[in-house]
Amino acid sequence: MARDRDDQDYLGPLRRIGIAALVLVLAASFLVWRIDSTRVERFRNAFIDRFVPTFDWAMVPVTKALGIVEGFQSYARIVAQNQELRRELQQMKAWKEAAVQLEQQNAKLLAQNQVRLDPKLTSVSGVVLADSGSPFRQSVLLNVGSRDGVVDGWATMDGLGLVGRISGVGRATSRVVLLTDSSSRIPVTIQPSGQHAILTGDNTPFPLLDFLEHPEQVRPGDRVISSGDGGVFPASLLVGQVLQGQDRRLRVRLSADYERLDFLRVLRSHPAEQLRDAGPLIPPAPAEVAAEGGNG
Amino acid sequence: MVDPLTTRRIAHRALYLGLALVVMFLRLLPVTPMSHGIPGPDLVLALTLAWVLRRPDYVPAWLIVGVFLLEDVMYWQPIGLWTLVVLGSTEFLRAREEATRDLNFLFEMALVAGVMAAMLVVNRMVLGLAVVEQPPLGLELLRLLMTLAAYPFVVALSALGFGLKRAALGELDAHGHRI
Repeated sequence: MARDRDDQDYLGPLRRIGIAALVLVLAASFLVWRIDSTRVERFRNAFIDRFVPTFDWAMVPVTKALGIVEGFQSYARIVAQNQELRRELQQMKAWKEAAVQLEQQNAKLLAQNQVRLDPKLTSVSGVVLADSGSPFRQSVLLNVGSRDGVVDGWATMDGLGLVGRISGVGRATSRVVLLTDSSSRIPVTIQPSGQHAILTGDNTPFPLLDFLEHPEQVRPGDRVISSGDGGVFPASLLVGQVLQGQDRRLRVRLSADYERLDFLRVLRSHPAEQLRDAGPLIPPAPAEVAAEGGNG
Repeated sequence: MVDPLTTRRIAHRALYLGLALVVMFLRLLPVTPMSHGIPGPDLVLALTLAWVLRRPDYVPAWLIVGVFLLEDVMYWQPIGLWTLVVLGSTEFLRAREEATRDLNFLFEMALVAGVMAAMLVVNRMVLGLAVVEQPPLGLELLRLLMTLAAYPFVVALSALGFGLKRAALGELDAHGHRI
């Protein structure tokens, strides 16, 4: 639809020519850009170098304002950061408390480690040669024997708990009957109730507790240690923890790792001193009496 | 004395140029609110299309070419191609300005969307033919959507702020000519 404006009559074709010229110029500039990119880019850079800095006067206040805003934001951030740091400090305090407690516990344990139960209680270490375990006999063979002074009846431990009792000593080997063997009977004490009992092996991984006076005082989880009754076994060796089996009988979960019996310590136990007489009044030694008499 | 029609025309052309420069200036500022992967709308394009569809005489072709060439140079785009595409599409719309006067706004939006999509396609096609590296298509589509979303606001601003309305059918200007 042609416009019937008076100036449109000659402007129309003129305008069309102008548009065509613009199109040509633009297409040519695109082609030049595509063909001789580097030169056009150089021109572009030069142009931007000229053009953009002329905006400086306008940019300065804007950038300044942005800087101020950023400054305030950073203040807000500092406040938030401060609070976060406080929270973290609180947590750190809790952790520090925990660390102090752990350190104390560690120190206690270390101190306990220094305790020698009995100065006479030294040990010979041996390597398990053969594990002659069967459903009927639970025993292992050690590579220490009478050559090393091992005597029948001594206790053997692994790193943690009681494993068994020497039963049969050769020159270079000895047999250890494990606590789980059905012929094993060990006198034990249950802590903290102090009940005495006999640990009876029955060829299961969890030996039975027999001859308990007050089974109701014993709870699952109580510590079981050797009692030393009878003078054969050294006292207060860790045996395990009380466990109530599915048949409601009290058993012991052994502390020693029966799955991996590699090195065993054979504890040298010496026969306890026997008190033979009824205990008369003990007179002072004659030498002391003489010394006192000399003074007086 | 210059007649009021020419004055208004010159004022609006200056306004268009000023708005384009302001948008460009804002984009040049070291703060980019949409720099996190989402491109901002192409406000200059929306402004141009809106004005072409309302008062084509306020945005003559040479002004459009000047603005978009400047944009090409400033934004490291291939020089001339996008300007050419914009020129083509504005001429297309300019020729149909009178025929689309009685369209309602939804149809206008659809028209603008179609034109923008065609512009994008032509631009990418030529760039592909010329084996030029192109920005990812997804980003460009997103930018197109953003521009479309900004279009009603640009129109509203033009109408409310600068008094730019579509001429009614048969509306006359101050000299008694049809617009």
